[in-house]
Amino acid sequence: MVPKVLIVDDDQSWLSLIQKELANYAENFMIRTADSGEAALAIINREHIMLVVSDLRMPGMDGFDLLSRILGSYPDIPVIIVTAYDRPKTKDVVFRSGAAGYLTKPFESDVLAREINKMLRKKAEGGNLNNVSLETFLQLVEMEQQTCTLQVMNKAGNNGGVLFFRNGELFNARIGEQQGKSAAYEILSWSSVSVSIENDCVFDEKLIEGDLQAILLDAMRSKDENEEARQAAAEENEIVLDEPVSATESEEGEGAPHQMVPSENPGPDQPAEAQQPEEELSPVEAVRRRLTGSLGSYTGVKDVYSDTKWEPLVSTAASVGEIFGFGELSAIYANKGGEGQYLIMPGEETTIISIDPDAPRDKIIGAVS
Amino acid sequence: MADMFKDVLGIEGVHGVLVFSEKGDVSVSQFTTDCQSDAEKIKGVDWSAMVNELSGITEAEIMFDEGRFYVRKAGAGYLLVILDDQAPVSMVRLNCEVLLPTLEKQKVGKGIGQLLRKKIF
Repeated sequence: MVPKVLIVDDDQSWLSLIQKELANYAENFMIRTADSGEAALAIINREHIMLVVSDLRMPGMDGFDLLSRILGSYPDIPVIIVTAYDRPKTKDVVFRSGAAGYLTKPFESDVLAREINKMLRKKAEGGNLNNVSLETFLQLVEMEQQTCTLQVMNKAGNNGGVLFFRNGELFNARIGEQQGKSAAYEILSWSSVSVSIENDCVFDEKLIEGDLQAILLDAMRSKDENEEARQAAAEENEIVLDEPVSATESEEGEGAPHQMVPSENPGPDQPAEAQQPEEELSPVEAVRRRLTGSLGSYTGVKDVYSDTKWEPLVSTAASVGEIFGFGELSAIYANKGGEGQYLIMPGEETTIISIDPDAPRDKIIGAVS
Repeated sequence: MADMFKDVLGIEGVHGVLVFSEKGDVSVSQFTTDCQSDAEKIKGVDWSAMVNELSGITEAEIMFDEGRFYVRKAGAGYLLVILDDQAPVSMVRLNCEVLLPTLEKQKVGKGIGQLLRKKIF
């Protein structure tokens, strides 16, 4: 299956032109286009996109905003920023925001094609496997304690998903914006797949509990059940879903697809801690929970703690905001250079989130605000 | 000088731009046509208290329910951009990053004040 590349630009004529010119590379990649950040996110959620190329200046959701959302929800998808707004330091700011590439408009379509091919090669640097038995291959990954990201293409459904392994352990899975165990179950239930291997994993923390064997067994059981349901329906000339019922369609609500995980077991998608209402938690614990819930394995957060030394800044800032009629103070981001960067959350207790120096701040701000 | 902040002021959702010294003296204040009333509001702010609390901070974003301030340390003072809650803050950051070397060449306060006076008179 040819990887899909999404190009985002509000200039429709440029989009048509570049799509036409990149048609020469149809053997290497397929181009999809979106004329806004919002339309791009809808496509990424629906289709298996391997790479995004986005303009920087767009009305509504601009390229930075789109980049930040992709980093948050689809961290395995690299983003190349293209812009005519090339000022000194633009490139630095774009890379610091988490982009994988940067091109200045105007450029020859061949230049963009080379950049796309380079990124796609990296995503398949460990090789490509066609018509492979996924369960056998995953057991090999586990045995050899591999760290890798597997792009899995479902030939039957013409869709795809991603499996993230670190040291042979399944850390996370993603289909569209669906992540965690439910996404893993769905990917593992696909019968005919091809796999591209990238020798890297963006996740440092395990989002999927349980060992691979148990997950594989559950997925196989689900596959059998789906197959039986399909056969039964075929016999009755009924139309059934080709894919397992997704988590959102399941009667149990969030979590794994039906009959896969007992409802009393919350699984990693529903941490046990979530049983306790947020109002009963201390402000620091509540912020920690929100961060875990939104960022999962994201490691940009160094620490979360309470500290009164920031209170004078909080109170001064709140009074300035009042003069401007900006309503309540929700957070302060403060960068102290070499000392570090902090997100200060006002409240009963002033809660501080200490952020890694290189971490894109928007992802963390978005998670708690 | 007016041109210096043109790009920042041209971003949708930006209300205005201020430059103030480490003593809290406002040396530059420019607002978009729709937000001229903010010029009155800045007179009610004790910027020296703000400068005091910003000590050691090179960059800050102060976020409210309905607006935001983006602050950058610029030479011997601060650049502050007033935004509404819908403004593309990354674009504001980028434009400030671009502005910074020019601002740092000025002695914020006296220097920019002098430059302004030269242009005006």
